[in-house]
Amino acid sequence: MKRGWFYLIGFLLLMGFDSIGAISFKYAGMHALPVQANAAWLLRLFGKPWIYGAVIGYVGAFFTWMTLLKHAPIGPAFAASHLELVSVMLLSVWLFNEPLTLAHVLGAVAIIAGIVCLGFAESREHVAELTDDSTRADS
Amino acid sequence: MPTGGSITALVAGLWLVNVILDTTGQLAFKAAASDPAAGDGFARWLHMASRPWLWTGIACYVLEFLAWIAFLSLLPLSQAILLGSINIVAVMVAGRVLFGEKLTSLRVAGILLVTLGVVIVGVGG
Repeated sequence: MKRGWFYLIGFLLLMGFDSIGAISFKYAGMHALPVQANAAWLLRLFGKPWIYGAVIGYVGAFFTWMTLLKHAPIGPAFAASHLELVSVMLLSVWLFNEPLTLAHVLGAVAIIAGIVCLGFAESREHVAELTDDSTRADS
Repeated sequence: MPTGGSITALVAGLWLVNVILDTTGQLAFKAAASDPAAGDGFARWLHMASRPWLWTGIACYVLEFLAWIAFLSLLPLSQAILLGSINIVAVMVAGRVLFGEKLTSLRVAGILLVTLGVVIVGVGG
């Protein structure tokens, strides 16, 4: 039960930091156009406040992620961390007036279905591991 | 802006660089975090800081940071974030190869669905 709350709060926190990061990234990039592999691009990027919002999102997500990884296997934890796809898609329709095209919606449905499959794969294996542990403890 | 961003050679290149850096970074963090000799609390962080894995991960993240901003500034955010989810597939396949993590049929189905979604968004624009 404690472990459940740990995951719920941890992944919600991760989703929040990831959403702040993605939106700040987009604003930072938009204000530094055109993209160039030179110092002028970096100066435009770091001369505006947006990049620092992206840094906050990144650092917050980093520490949340490292704490979660200590307990969760990388693949499924990584999958769960990508539920931010939904929040960022909805926020970009609202903030950037991006249209929800059919391709985007179909693609998002397939990706989220894939993520759900990965989540189920993990919980099955988790049950199997618990059974293994109790068998070992009994013997 | 058109309904979907067009995938130019620059956009495709940035996408590829981002996948490679993200996968390398994630695996380096996994190697740092799962070291059984690391201990707990502050000592765990000190132990990780004295080894290269944590720093490899941070270096990848810093470079990915710039590649990802460049990528995002060339595409609509909702499209870019969906294309970026190919990282899930890359990390799982790499986790299977390097850490021997299990790849069950359900996981293969998940990987195929995520890849299908990325292809739909990439081709459909």
